[in-house]
Amino acid sequence: MADNRDDFIIALRYALLKKGAKQKFSLFFLILLSISIITLDKFSPPFMSSVRSTLNDFVYYVSVVSSQPSKYKKYLVKKTKLHYSTMKDNKYLKEEIEYLKKQKFNNAFLSTENQILKKALDLSRVKSFEQDFSISSKVILDQESPFLKSILINKGSKNGVTKGMTVFNNDYLMGTIIEVNYLTSRVLLLIDLNSKLPVLIGGTEINGILEGTGKKRNLQLRYLPENYEIEPNKIIFTSGKDGFLVPGIPVAETYLSKKNKILIRLLGDPDQALIVNITNGQVEK
Amino acid sequence: MILKIIKEKILFSLPIILLYYFSFYHFQIPEVGKINFFAFNFQMILIYFYTLKFPEVLGYGNIFLAGIINDTVLGIPLGTTSLSYLTLSLFTNYIRNATLRSVMTSEWFAFIPALFFSNLIYLLIINNFSNVSFYYTELLQNTFFTFLFFPIFHYFFSQYQKLFFRE
Repeated sequence: MADNRDDFIIALRYALLKKGAKQKFSLFFLILLSISIITLDKFSPPFMSSVRSTLNDFVYYVSVVSSQPSKYKKYLVKKTKLHYSTMKDNKYLKEEIEYLKKQKFNNAFLSTENQILKKALDLSRVKSFEQDFSISSKVILDQESPFLKSILINKGSKNGVTKGMTVFNNDYLMGTIIEVNYLTSRVLLLIDLNSKLPVLIGGTEINGILEGTGKKRNLQLRYLPENYEIEPNKIIFTSGKDGFLVPGIPVAETYLSKKNKILIRLLGDPDQALIVNITNGQVEK
Repeated sequence: MILKIIKEKILFSLPIILLYYFSFYHFQIPEVGKINFFAFNFQMILIYFYTLKFPEVLGYGNIFLAGIINDTVLGIPLGTTSLSYLTLSLFTNYIRNATLRSVMTSEWFAFIPALFFSNLIYLLIINNFSNVSFYYTELLQNTFFTFLFFPIFHYFFSQYQKLFFRE
């Protein structure tokens, strides 16, 4: 028994300390180094943030370069599909033009009527979406990770981006900035488990917290009133109860799945985001 | 002559190149139904195979650095993946020293505890050193398919070594 234990300890010590053929470092040294880095990263001494920021910028840009072959393949597939669908679209669009010509006169009337009504309600002076910071940015990486559902964008502290800013894609809320480097930033998507947003269900006065589950077609609403059942085809808006986002920004919608379950999906598809808008939180002026 | 040396160097370093490439770029394979059948950790298989069979090809320093890059790309605490990979290497080092004759099946089954311990280290660090929440099922699927695909890659890597280095 004692011999077996001794053999195990000898083999383990040998595995840890012996550098072996052409190895420059022993495992023991590298394991200690890893533990030191984890500890330094956790407690973040002043020099660590600049080291991490420089490392992030470097790694992100190399990562962008290494993902180019895959992007080119996607581009080719996309272009081929586009080519074959153009003919079909062309036929459809011709029919649509004919239809729209007929609708044009009707729309002109509705537009005039709308203006008159807006004037009457004095809605045109509402400035709920006014910004004092807004910048467009390109999505450079959207790596799959079992830990964080996030994307990387090519704007950083150099462009005035700060932690906590909100990110929009096609006017739909997409996420918030959680990490800012000099040239790049990381956006935590609304679908991430760590994302929590106070919301209001459209057409009702029901408030809740919209939580990510890691899946863009299955978000969760928490803290709803007891016995309340969600209905399909309801738009979910920001409630503004966090004091950070203005109320009324469309975020998600409820829908009926193939299995007749009512689920919640985002209005904007994060996978399709190429250009995003970064704002400082849609604070109401 | 110089071209031949360069070619040999590149062929010899291909596992290191692959390790770094897949640390920088995490390929995404579309999901089939509800389970992503092809989501597996290629780096783990590569590290396990090479540190077990050809330790002179894949240095621990490279494994450590690839882990740091992986952490940066995924946005998790620095050093987490490095420690996980090094745990895997420690395991393979122990297996190599403790066994006399290597058989693919025994290596495959020894991959289970190796994967378990390296992922355990991963989970412990993520849970204790960061505020990141976890997709446990995704990690479990990933680990399972990493284990399942090991024999396929074992065959390819062995053939590669035989073809170019007659080992």
